[in-house]
Amino acid sequence: MVEIQDLKTSVDLGRGFVIKNPIMTASGTFGYCFEYARFYDIKKLGAIVTKAITLEPRAGNSGRRIFETCGGMINRIGLENVGVERFMAEKLPLLNKGGMDFVINIAGSSLEEYVSLAKICENHKIRATELNVSCPNVKSGCLEFGTDEKTLYGLVSQVRDEFSGCLIVKLTPNVTSVEKIAESAQKAGADAVSAINTLKGTGIKLTWAKNRFIKETVSGGLSGRAVKPVALGVVSRISQVLDIPIIGIGGIYDLADAFEFLSAGASAVQVGTANFTHPECAGCIADDLHDFMYENGIRSIEDLKEKLKGE
Amino acid sequence: MQVAKLKKHHKAKIISIKQVSLTQYFMKFVPLDDFSSKPGQFVSILCGGLTLRRPFSIASFDGNEIGVLFKLKGKGTEFLSNLRVGDEIDFVGAVGNGFKIENKRSLLIGAGVGVAPVFYLKTELEKMQIPSLLISGFQTEKEIPEGIECDKICTDDGTAGLHGSVINYIRNMIEEFKPEKIYACGPKIVLQNTAEIAQRYKIPCEVAMEKEMACSIGVCRGCVIKIKDKNGEKTASVCQDGPVFNGEAVLW
Ligand SMILES: Cc1cc2nc3c(=O)[nH]c(=O)nc-3n(C[C@H](O)[C@H](O)[C@H](O)COP(=O)(O)O)c2cc1C
Ligand code: FES
Repeated sequence: MVEIQDLKTSVDLGRGFVIKNPIMTASGTFGYCFEYARFYDIKKLGAIVTKAITLEPRAGNSGRRIFETCGGMINRIGLENVGVERFMAEKLPLLNKGGMDFVINIAGSSLEEYVSLAKICENHKIRATELNVSCPNVKSGCLEFGTDEKTLYGLVSQVRDEFSGCLIVKLTPNVTSVEKIAESAQKAGADAVSAINTLKGTGIKLTWAKNRFIKETVSGGLSGRAVKPVALGVVSRISQVLDIPIIGIGGIYDLADAFEFLSAGASAVQVGTANFTHPECAGCIADDLHDFMYENGIRSIEDLKEKLKGE
Repeated sequence: MQVAKLKKHHKAKIISIKQVSLTQYFMKFVPLDDFSSKPGQFVSILCGGLTLRRPFSIASFDGNEIGVLFKLKGKGTEFLSNLRVGDEIDFVGAVGNGFKIENKRSLLIGAGVGVAPVFYLKTELEKMQIPSLLISGFQTEKEIPEGIECDKICTDDGTAGLHGSVINYIRNMIEEFKPEKIYACGPKIVLQNTAEIAQRYKIPCEVAMEKEMACSIGVCRGCVIKIKDKNGEKTASVCQDGPVFNGEAVLW
């Protein structure tokens, strides 16, 4: 047994951004700040990541945005958000008052937009941002920055120049060599990477009615349980080439899932789609992690990761 | 911090589940802790191992038992239809804004499973002794759910009640019943027609909308529709800003 006061669940993601435990919530699945506080004490989470913020407000995509698949879902929200100005005015004060660690997820359609967003985050003394270069659901930008190593290098370097806090680069699995992309993010000055964002996919629903098929097509990003093996694959591969911390994302529903990511090389995890299925999910994982470490005399996340390498 | 007073995530025991028409089921369940709701609100039920909860309008609530009417449509409703009395379910709710009840002669329009929330509304209006008339439309006689009492019924194929779509009877009902307020739930085409006719008669009208949902609490923006705004238009989530909207605010 460890004494409860000796239990150290914290994780350092870089530049002094030390979160109290490795359980975070993923961008776009947890709102701007306190939406889930009606379900549980969200302060038990390591940190929350806000939904993507863009320079200008965005209305998102029209038409159907959600499509359930076997073991997951496809979304094509299209980065609907209130824009950085309103976010900083209305949501940031709440987040600051809330007293929990948070990461601002930023997305742009041009290099200039990312740089402006980085400056604004710097001016508001944001401690951590996650660079979303991996959203597959918008017509221009975003994903394009995350699929080419040179473009990404340029983008991350310039953002790095403007932002002194913890800079996390969120990777897309929709590439040929994710190792190269991850390495260029690290070289350009990222403090950590998170992986994965959603996988490009298409759902088709056909209904036979009155002698013809009614066809509905929803193309967007696949998430949920179905993507976990892809995410574990990405985390394993990039952990071979990176020195900076990796945040694992994709189909995490319970502590066993989180352990698999730590075992693959992640230092922290983000819970996404599972929040929709089980609203208290991320909080439960944080509780279960604490209990597991306490009951088994594991003192720190480093020790846990060591043990999770397995025999 | 904005913490809602009432707990929103519940477990409940099923006390009855019954097939009430060719494709519809009525399920009643009792939450294991405090719960309250109003007509037009819905519950979001976990369906086994499926990723997304399924939203269902509350069809009845008597302070203890919650009733929902559902139509077999896919994997979620198929899962629910196989549940038995005594089984436990997990739901989030009551969520959504609900109808704004007013002391006005009320015309209630339901179509298909859309009859559920207006049926609940009718029970509440009756308790408050507000005069109301519920007319609902179904495809055919076999689709009329048993136990959902309506004042008037129409069927598309004329096998029961008035012949034709409920849309064809809205004007008649307005002329005859002279409502001061209209409430509707059903497919988009019915809601749009109801809203347009109501506007022509200058009768305030509320419509309960439906849309695929993921979070059902206003977080994911997966269920948005377009509504009018002072600057033109804006998006509104069906799950949180709705499901009930003023008919004239919706951009169809
Ligand atoms: C509805 C929805 C919205 C999302 N929005 C964002 C977003 O705004 N920014 C972002 O970086 N990722 C976004 N994502 C991706 C998630 O953060 C996460 O990377 C992905 O869903 C995989 O994790 P999961 O399987 O646990 O959901 C979104 C995912 C979903 C399902
Ligand atoms: S279902 Fe997520 S915002 Fe409505």
